[in-house]
Amino acid sequence: MNFSAKHSLPALALLGLTLGSCQPTLEDTRPTADAGQLNFSSYVAVGNSLTSGYSDGGLYNEVQAVSYPAILAQQFAKTGKGPASFVQPAFSAARKDGSGYIKLQLVNGAAAPVQPSAANSFLGEQVAYTGNNLPAPPLGSGQPELEAYTGAQPDNLGVPGISVLSADRTASSTGNAVLDATTRATAGAYGNVNPFYQRILPAADRGVKDYVTYIGQKTPTFFTCWMGNNDVLTYATAGATSSLTTNPFSGLTDTTSFGRGYRNIINAISKNGTVKGVCANIPNVTAIPYFNTVTVAAVAAAFKAQNAASPGVFITTSGTPSVRLATSADLLTLTAQAVVATGVGSSPTNPLPSQYVLDASEITAITTRTTQLNNIIAKTARQNKLALADMNTFFNNIAAQGVVTNAVNNTATFASGNLFSLDGVHPTPRGYAVVANEFIRVINAYYGSQVPSVAPNNYRGVLFP
Amino acid sequence: MTVKRLLLAGGALLVGTSAASASGFQVNLNGQKNNGMGGVGVALTLDQAAMFYNPGALAMVRENGVQVGVNAAIARNAFIPESGGGQSNLRNTLVTPANFYAGFGPKEGKWKIGIGAYTPFGSELHYADNWEGRYALTDINLRSIFAQLTASYAITPQLSVGAGLVMLAYGDVDLQKDVPLTAQSGAPTPHVTLNGKAKQSFGYNAGIYFKPSDKLAVGVSYRSQVDAKIEDGDVRLRDVIYSTGGNFTAKNFSATLPLPAVANAGVAIMPTEKLTISAEANLVFWSTYRTLDFTFSGNNGYGDRPATGTTPAVVGTPGLLGGSSTSSAKRYYQDALAFRLGGQYKVTDAFTVRAGGFYDMAAVKDGYVTPETPDADRIGLTAGASYEFGKRFGIDASFLFEDFLKRSQSQTDLLNNGTTDRVAGTYKTTIAVPGVGLYVKF
Repeated sequence: MNFSAKHSLPALALLGLTLGSCQPTLEDTRPTADAGQLNFSSYVAVGNSLTSGYSDGGLYNEVQAVSYPAILAQQFAKTGKGPASFVQPAFSAARKDGSGYIKLQLVNGAAAPVQPSAANSFLGEQVAYTGNNLPAPPLGSGQPELEAYTGAQPDNLGVPGISVLSADRTASSTGNAVLDATTRATAGAYGNVNPFYQRILPAADRGVKDYVTYIGQKTPTFFTCWMGNNDVLTYATAGATSSLTTNPFSGLTDTTSFGRGYRNIINAISKNGTVKGVCANIPNVTAIPYFNTVTVAAVAAAFKAQNAASPGVFITTSGTPSVRLATSADLLTLTAQAVVATGVGSSPTNPLPSQYVLDASEITAITTRTTQLNNIIAKTARQNKLALADMNTFFNNIAAQGVVTNAVNNTATFASGNLFSLDGVHPTPRGYAVVANEFIRVINAYYGSQVPSVAPNNYRGVLFP
Repeated sequence: MTVKRLLLAGGALLVGTSAASASGFQVNLNGQKNNGMGGVGVALTLDQAAMFYNPGALAMVRENGVQVGVNAAIARNAFIPESGGGQSNLRNTLVTPANFYAGFGPKEGKWKIGIGAYTPFGSELHYADNWEGRYALTDINLRSIFAQLTASYAITPQLSVGAGLVMLAYGDVDLQKDVPLTAQSGAPTPHVTLNGKAKQSFGYNAGIYFKPSDKLAVGVSYRSQVDAKIEDGDVRLRDVIYSTGGNFTAKNFSATLPLPAVANAGVAIMPTEKLTISAEANLVFWSTYRTLDFTFSGNNGYGDRPATGTTPAVVGTPGLLGGSSTSSAKRYYQDALAFRLGGQYKVTDAFTVRAGGFYDMAAVKDGYVTPETPDADRIGLTAGASYEFGKRFGIDASFLFEDFLKRSQSQTDLLNNGTTDRVAGTYKTTIAVPGVGLYVKF
């Protein structure tokens, strides 16, 4: 072999090994995290169950840890102007499952949601019930008490079940003096009504400090406020049945009371419009799996399978006649599943009670009120120069077409859709991550910041047995 | 000797596979001398590999001979997702596309026959654990071996033609991905493997070679499309969650992957006896690849439930994967052009050096990039050398370095194209391919 060949062949081999071990490195051209004009050093979240990280019909540590405010705080921190810590009112480790949560369990080989209760030993969950009850009505609910949170006032102020009407002792303004007096007094004593609120209040404040006063104690540099859902949702999930005498917060909140309460909430947390933040509005409650999983068609088919002569599903409604056959325009609640399984609704003498049904007029009343309340939220946000997260449109899009995250198709379908938890109302961790990304998108668009979004696939959907 | 026997004789060297070194999932490493010259070949008569590049040129290859070549393709890939985590890299793999040719004919005769085996398509990629695209793809190994029987005839001393029977002698595919479901027990993420062998199928190639003078040659050639058809491939499932078993009952799948036709045209000039320079263009008819469709069948029993006190036994719906008996994914490839330039210089009678380069355009359109083929326009640079011992035996060495241009797609692109079954982000790939060949002439 001549000189050049002797040298060039090994040289080629060497070149191969050198270049072959050359791992390309991509320059990360994504925008660098930047808070812009915002200061996230004290981020406070105001809201209801959605804000608290409630999921699967309960508040428990696992999902609370990935509530959308917790995800937001984690992403805010990436800008370097974020909170050093974001305090959430967690349950103690030995009672980490809080109020308990619905699980899928195998029933006859198929997965079925099972509600925890004392009767089934709370499905083995480490629940946080103390054995005591809250004060009895009036000005109390008598509900089981949860383990008290004893740390400093949290940054996540989300209280499951709270509405604008129940948050402000001065809100109720229906014009009915007796009702307004009761509603206002109950809102003032809300710490004795709602065990989730009671547990985060210092003992001295229970029953005497309303939510608006409580959130006014914080001095945030940035806040999110997602309130108002329960001003329509409580009424809707009860099949548009309510008794204001037993629970003054179970109706559709009127616009006057809502406007008054909502403005007071925003004034309290924004320090009269001096603190920057985001207001989120109310999603269309009739688009959630709670009203779209048990369908009239499916129940009618099940009845027909048992009795070929079955004409359909009989329901009780507020209209006349009060008992009639259901149509595809009627929505049945997720909770109707267990009732129709026992044959209720199969005959006109055994109709499905009204609490499991939303008829067309009730749906219209709820969506109309939702629109009115959202107008108040939008106006208040505008007047205080706050960003508005249009969760109504966002969830309507999800209901229509789902949301794809890195090749995973997430939908509003119950359980298998990944986004909604087993209560059919509240998101899963995946759903909360998607919600957090929407907040981030709105914040970045409104304030010109560059808060990075999260990868929702890193957060779980429903857990299957 | 039959083609099959020869394949067996080729043995371990002929396990053809590679990170795709040309547009789509082509592998253009089919002649060791050509590899060093930017992949040109349609207007050349370097050695028996001519039967691959242009069957028409085989009759003009002076000596009879047998040759083998093997390449070590080392692919490196980086991916940054549009949202979420940082860069993820491929788990490094080494794949070895190979080629074998034998050509025979009477000395000074007008005709020649040849047999060959080579690996024109293939792809092997193993993505990092937990990478963002894991629900689209975690691993792919696509392999093909083509066998070819060629006859070539010199009509005049200047003009020769040739044609061959091309056979997909062996093909298999292994596709894996994670299933986006989570188990209560904290069990691992469910995982699907689709593994199947392609049926043998046939195509042809043909070419014309024209050398009007000692200083000029031109050639055109064409290889037809061959379909890799998989029937009764295996669906293998791992860690399926019991309550979701009814949606994962498939045992078998069928699918068809087109291995498209290629047309080539090139010119070679020989200014001196020692120097050859050649340029050519290839057009790969990738637009035939519209969708990747799977049909699932069989019942693995995951959906079956025994009778209980209150319910009868249930037999699961057969042939479901993720609740569906078929799947269709948009590919919408486009025809892809490649331009190649290469040269060789005979330093001495025994020693030859080569160099070349190419620009190969992507078959995958913007917004359609899948993890299985992170295709992009690419630039390749090559070098090579041969040394011959006593006019009889020789050794070829080649080296190719290929740089894929950075390719990005956003979630908006994917939504607009209806291609959200893949992942948004930026891909960057490089491939280095050292290769070596041995030949005998007689």
